[in-house]
Amino acid sequence: MAPAVLPLVSLIAVTAALICVLVFRPGLTASQGGKILAFFVLFLLPLICLGMGTDYHIGHSEQTSFCLSCHEMQPFGRSLMVDDPGHLAAAHYQNHRVPAEMACYTCHTNYAMFGTLRAKLQGLHHVYVHYLGTPPAPSAIRLYEPFNNRECLHCHLGARSFEEGATHNADPALLPAVKASKLSCVSSGCHDTVHNVGTLDKEKLWKGAP
Amino acid sequence: MSFSGNPLERRLQFSGILLILGLLVEALCLFWNQPMAFVLFLGIGGLLQGLGILLYLFSLVSIRQPHR
Repeated sequence: MAPAVLPLVSLIAVTAALICVLVFRPGLTASQGGKILAFFVLFLLPLICLGMGTDYHIGHSEQTSFCLSCHEMQPFGRSLMVDDPGHLAAAHYQNHRVPAEMACYTCHTNYAMFGTLRAKLQGLHHVYVHYLGTPPAPSAIRLYEPFNNRECLHCHLGARSFEEGATHNADPALLPAVKASKLSCVSSGCHDTVHNVGTLDKEKLWKGAP
Repeated sequence: MSFSGNPLERRLQFSGILLILGLLVEALCLFWNQPMAFVLFLGIGGLLQGLGILLYLFSLVSIRQPHR
């Protein structure tokens, strides 16, 4: 869910107004009440605004719309609308197997200690490349490292469709290998059609829910 | 607006101006739906607010009060 901006804007406006009072009437700080007011409006409230603002931006950066706001990512956004259940990302997005408003973040954050922090740092690197570097063509964009089964198993482990699926159990060695990340979910000829932005022009796209 | 002759009050005024500028940047960044907004929010807004808060704290400890 998108973080609410109105409470933060209201707090910023109130804080700025109170600071203006002190800037135009600095003599107020001579009294004890004025000193307490100065502590609140020159220290405490700005810190709260900064904290809430950081929280807002971090929450905002997890939104699908945020990821797709860069033109390099727009083909990946279109790939979520491919009208073919064999397309992994599209099937997850369209069937709400991942929260639609946080689709990118749900699959592309490492579910490990510091996974979120690492994702943010990589995001900063993306901003750098977008504005100051040479962004690659969308079809040439690759993950930093192969997609880890851990990210799939975060949701699918223990799910009946995963544990008892006919294909998953056709070979008794398959599920243990998948769970141990010895056999990748996405690059082993099983669920290997993920975004495939290079062939997107040939795909029929779903128009979305009414 | 005129700056106060009292050094403590003048520093508080400067601190307030830095904080207002930082808050203004922060508010503007909230309405910008681009990744650069976060960078500007922290890089400029956060810096201005941090400087404003530090100046406020510095003004508290730097002014010598006469012994009673």
